[in-house]
Amino acid sequence: MKIFLRTFIVALLLFVLATGTGFAAPKEVKIGVIFPLSGGLATTGKLLRIGVELAAEIVNNKTENIDIPMAKWEGIPGLGGAKIKLIFMDHRSDPARGADLAKRLIKDEKVVGILGCYNSSVTKSVSTVCERYGVPMINSNSTSPPLTTRGYKWFWRTTPHNVTFSHDLYKFLIGLTKGKSKGVGKVPMKDLERIAIAGEETEFGATGIKVLEELAPKYGFKVVKAIKYRHQSPDLTSEVQAIRASNPGVVAFIPYVSDAILFMRTFKSMKFSPKIVWGQDAGTVQPGFAEGLKKDAVGVLTRTVFVPKIAEVKPVAKQVNSLFKKRSGEDFSGTSARAFTGLQTWAYVLNNAKSTDPKAIQKAANALYIPGKELIMPWKGIKFGGEQKGEMGQNILGSGMIAQWQVSPGDTVPHLEAVYPFEYATAKLIYPFPKWK
Amino acid sequence: MEGIKGAIKDALDFSDFPKSERIGIIIFYIYLLIFPWVVSSSFARAVMIQFLLFALYGMGWNTIGGYGGQVALGKAQYVGISAYTVAMMMILFNIPFWVSMPIGVFLAVLWSFMIGYPLFRLKGHYFAIATIAVSLVLQDIFRNWEFVGGERGLSLPFKGTPNFLYMQFKSDVYYYYFMLIFFTLGLFYMNWFRKSRLGYQLRAVKANEDVAASLGINVRWAKIKAYAIASAFVAVGGAFYAVYHMYIDTSSVMHLELSILIALMAMLGGAASLWGPIIGAAILVPLDRYLGSWIGGAKGLLGLDLIIYSIIIMLVAALEPRGIWGIVEKVRAKRG
Repeated sequence: MKIFLRTFIVALLLFVLATGTGFAAPKEVKIGVIFPLSGGLATTGKLLRIGVELAAEIVNNKTENIDIPMAKWEGIPGLGGAKIKLIFMDHRSDPARGADLAKRLIKDEKVVGILGCYNSSVTKSVSTVCERYGVPMINSNSTSPPLTTRGYKWFWRTTPHNVTFSHDLYKFLIGLTKGKSKGVGKVPMKDLERIAIAGEETEFGATGIKVLEELAPKYGFKVVKAIKYRHQSPDLTSEVQAIRASNPGVVAFIPYVSDAILFMRTFKSMKFSPKIVWGQDAGTVQPGFAEGLKKDAVGVLTRTVFVPKIAEVKPVAKQVNSLFKKRSGEDFSGTSARAFTGLQTWAYVLNNAKSTDPKAIQKAANALYIPGKELIMPWKGIKFGGEQKGEMGQNILGSGMIAQWQVSPGDTVPHLEAVYPFEYATAKLIYPFPKWK
Repeated sequence: MEGIKGAIKDALDFSDFPKSERIGIIIFYIYLLIFPWVVSSSFARAVMIQFLLFALYGMGWNTIGGYGGQVALGKAQYVGISAYTVAMMMILFNIPFWVSMPIGVFLAVLWSFMIGYPLFRLKGHYFAIATIAVSLVLQDIFRNWEFVGGERGLSLPFKGTPNFLYMQFKSDVYYYYFMLIFFTLGLFYMNWFRKSRLGYQLRAVKANEDVAASLGINVRWAKIKAYAIASAFVAVGGAFYAVYHMYIDTSSVMHLELSILIALMAMLGGAASLWGPIIGAAILVPLDRYLGSWIGGAKGLLGLDLIIYSIIIMLVAALEPRGIWGIVEKVRAKRG
């Protein structure tokens, strides 16, 4: 009996040892991802999430027919093949909630770093927590310029920011006056020089308005109206009336999705068509905008960093996009493609750091270079530095695009065609913005 | 001198509560004292800090909203005023937290007198709506005021940790005990308040304003004073918020949602009772944060946390308008 008992105990010990060491799961490296997954930005959050998950899957598993080195990695080679494990958190656009979740990820989940947070205001509070704990954070989607001028040593941003994007709008307009756009003759400056801006009132819109206002005189334009509005607002009639009264040639929006749609509907009901309608990314770039408005979206320009049509000139983008479409039923947008690139950057940084030690990651991030051909974004690459005064941790090889919603014969839902930079235009610009029928 | 001694005695004297409640609060308080040593999860600590903060807000609201029966829904503006004061003074003049906090609280109280004076000409729903309106206007002003960062908000400068003067620490434990101290002071103050002259006056006002006035109570002045006290409470919380999160903007410290949350927690716990706001915060804050972080990030369950959260609020509101404490008292009355 005793012998039986002893054998049993030894067997049990062996089992515990074996399961504890020998059969241990392959090493993994945890990255915390904080996005707005519910609430008003839930649709955006879903796409952000799919973008990030896709990138992680490509890193973790051998993926055929993708011409990015990481597709052949099967885990992160620099970390002995460790797989990326993503832990998602939902900040619901609340900076305080984001900060608390960041603490949870850092101290309780022991993540090696953070990716997030879409809303610039939440990115601010979360990056403050990261800075306090000395934990690296990569930001893929927040475009508020001051994020990278705070002197933070643990914060890197892959996306270009609103200053770069706003320059693009004016360069595009100047290009139009010089007749640089395919199929559109020289546009007289007097048709375009009056600009009205409408921005939603949170950090995203407010900063956007400020930058556009500051740059206008440098390019010879005049801001005749600048208004802020609540993006959950059920009615924008008075805002549109104020814009129309200022008689602008160009209307620049800085909206989220539902308000962008409401703006266009109000434009239609008031039969108001300025020469150019341009939106600053977020609201006007997402598929939901075109699906909501159908043909009424045709002619709207949007600042973006990505259009699915890029696939025609960028094979890598085409390959990854086909995987993304399988998962989400949609093409990549600037939002989801940048989220993908954010996690890709994390993978490269970890691979170069060869360690999960924060200091090593910091060094690797500061020295990072990803060539443009390995990205799905139409950028020259990713390399961190600074262009604004006192800036650091900003990708200096990123750039923006301007695209236009156009509809193919037979389609009901418009798609995006690149129109700027002029040399990458994938279609003829529709100018002026069509009159309402 | 005698008056102060008496007040302190009143503040420390909980003998009019039943024994079970006294034992309950002592156990709960000991738990709060040792909490950071028992629970090492930093998310749990962050949630507890949030609980203490909202308990403080709720206790403040309870003076005017609970004892006074005036539904004030604009408390976020006072949170904002002191948070902005602390942030601006630190950014512009490098003034330490311990100097800027009292100034922030003072400014909030001053503003509450300026707002309270005209506002208390209104009664009932009109008063509630007016408090919302004033708060929204102030938020819009701050949102468009470039000097205070406008909608971009304010990021507080790093001073290196640990720094007691500027309240910057790496570990949340310091912030936790800071809040616990103010929570304790708040609790003692409220214990005194409910037995004070103003406390009785307010209850009389709540029961029947005309009768109260006929007894010689200056109804409007009593309300204004209580409103100012409530503002001081939330202003302390606001100052803390600024140094704790090191980033403020109008949507985090002046938003209507915050005003409603403050009132909601006190009402749900049980207005006009000492324990109500504490119970409300102790239930709603962890519920919201834990549900949000467990379910909120999970695929396929999106929004479920919000549904559960709102169902609980609706259930309590439907079952017992006096809140959770009301349910407890009902059960007790049935037994005894």
